[in-house]
Amino acid sequence: MIQIDNLEKSYGKVHAVRGVSFTAQDSRITALLGPNGAGKSTTLRILSTVAEPDVGKALVAGLDVTTHPMEVRRQLGVLPHNSGLYARLTGIENIRYFGRLQNLSKQELEPRIEALVEQLDMKDFCARRTAGFSQGQKIKVALARALIHDPQHVVLDEPTNGLDVMATRALRSIIRRLKEAGKCVLFSSHIMQEVDALCDDVIVIAHGQVKFDGTISQLRAHAGTEDLEEAFVQLADLREEREG
Amino acid sequence: MNRFTVVFLKEFIDNARDKRTLFSSFSVAILGPVFFVGIMVFVLDRALGESDEPVTFAVVGATYAPELMSYLRQQNTEISEVDAEEPRDLVTSGEHKLVLVINPDYAERYTRGNVNTLMLIHDSSEISSTRRNLGQLRGLIGQYGRTIGTLRLWLRGLDPSISNPITTQELDVASPAARALTILASLPYFLVLAIFMGGFYLAIDTTAGEREHGSLEPLLTQPVERAELVLGKIAATSVFGTLSLLVFLISLYFAVPFVPFEKIGMALEIGLTQILSILVISIPLIFFAAALLTVVASFAKSYKEAQTYLTIVVLVPTLPLILAQLLNIENSLTVMLVPSLSQAILMADLIKGEPVAFASALTSMTTTAVAAILLSWVAIHLYKRERILG
Repeated sequence: MIQIDNLEKSYGKVHAVRGVSFTAQDSRITALLGPNGAGKSTTLRILSTVAEPDVGKALVAGLDVTTHPMEVRRQLGVLPHNSGLYARLTGIENIRYFGRLQNLSKQELEPRIEALVEQLDMKDFCARRTAGFSQGQKIKVALARALIHDPQHVVLDEPTNGLDVMATRALRSIIRRLKEAGKCVLFSSHIMQEVDALCDDVIVIAHGQVKFDGTISQLRAHAGTEDLEEAFVQLADLREEREG
Repeated sequence: MNRFTVVFLKEFIDNARDKRTLFSSFSVAILGPVFFVGIMVFVLDRALGESDEPVTFAVVGATYAPELMSYLRQQNTEISEVDAEEPRDLVTSGEHKLVLVINPDYAERYTRGNVNTLMLIHDSSEISSTRRNLGQLRGLIGQYGRTIGTLRLWLRGLDPSISNPITTQELDVASPAARALTILASLPYFLVLAIFMGGFYLAIDTTAGEREHGSLEPLLTQPVERAELVLGKIAATSVFGTLSLLVFLISLYFAVPFVPFEKIGMALEIGLTQILSILVISIPLIFFAAALLTVVASFAKSYKEAQTYLTIVVLVPTLPLILAQLLNIENSLTVMLVPSLSQAILMADLIKGEPVAFASALTSMTTTAVAAILLSWVAIHLYKRERILG
């Protein structure tokens, strides 16, 4: 379970996150939905222990990310915004590097890599250097890298960016399988259809604040419209922003 | 395998696969000795050749002064007799570098005891051996003139020394060996440069490069102490610095026998003992260089920015070496406190085959090691700040 409690974070004069609170449960897929610059990435950065909050707490499996960063890092698998692979290493080597950093022994690591290669259908390309990989291949390797230590919590920052239809579908089925395995999946997106197709819970975030927290059907009811995009635009005050 | 080793191995393998990094890391190490030996051979050849080369020039009107000509021929000269309406053209056309012109009235003036003026035509804008030839020919003619003057004074019953109240004597101590030593003194500069260049691209790739490619953020989400991470990176950079120095020394080992040191009565031997000694005293400097490059590159947001910073950084440690040469700083314990300068002085002593004081080596190694540790601490601290992600 991931708990975010009254998080605040400023970069200089920019107040990126202003009192964000929400919870992401195990065995559920939770979406962090918001327009660009809403504070999604900052929230995820705090959660993944690479940034510290000014105010508030973030807990992963009950562990505070600022006081127990090492334990949290073992509990968390993070797929960053851009895949961030090493171009001169092969797909396998990229995955193995993070497995070793997670302190997996060789006996644990190698079968795990094999299983992920199988699950993510990477056999054809994973032995090549990642320099020439397509976006879809890169995301798969980055995802395998994030899942190498079988974390209970998986954080994905706009994972479908730049993927074609087939790659997006493949990714969705992988994320669903994570949910079925009882994982707590939190992923950020600015695409409504994406969230609709995949998520159980939605947190709408805009201007550094939570605008809505509930299930997809609650979101429709709350906005009084079947059109999710319309609901999202209303909740996120996007119209106001454009007019003002 | 501990995490330090994991990071170290990854950075080492990753960079060993990059041709650009490899080329730049070992360029100084490979080209340095070739360049060094080339210059050495060139300088020694010239220095050795000049001293017994004949004075070469052309003479217009040689028949007018047979005695002068026979005197000149007895000296170490190479004379070509020519005829010309306008002797000047011989030089401007480039046909001859140096021309001596004797006037037709030479014999007549000589008998009457008048002053005879001989003209020397040359082109001073030309950088060649003309300058040396001109000086030597001038000396020969002056000597001949003084001999005649002395004879004339004697004939008149006078002491020749009254016309020569002051004389000078010259002694040039710039032997070929001294010239060779000057060039040899620049060798430590190249060795220190090799250490810094060896780690140059690794320091960038493991810091600013990692940030630019977006791999730093996922890396920092791994359960690794920042110290393990940063020290692993510095270690990889250090290994490249070591390899660069080692390649330099090995190529030097094979290149030095091509320099004709024995011709100038000098024995320079870069033996295995010296290579090992240089390596040992350089170890703290290698870490110092790696840590310094890593710290500076960590401030850069991009690969290119880091390149700019590091180019300046590489110049800074080599500055003390140039200063030391200019100011002729000698080995002292105070100097041993300065990283890079102390190693350069110790290397120079080792190359010359002079004994190195244990206290000097120890002081140099300790202070440089302390500086390296401080810099590593700074680097670790930089990675603990969230601003490292930019």
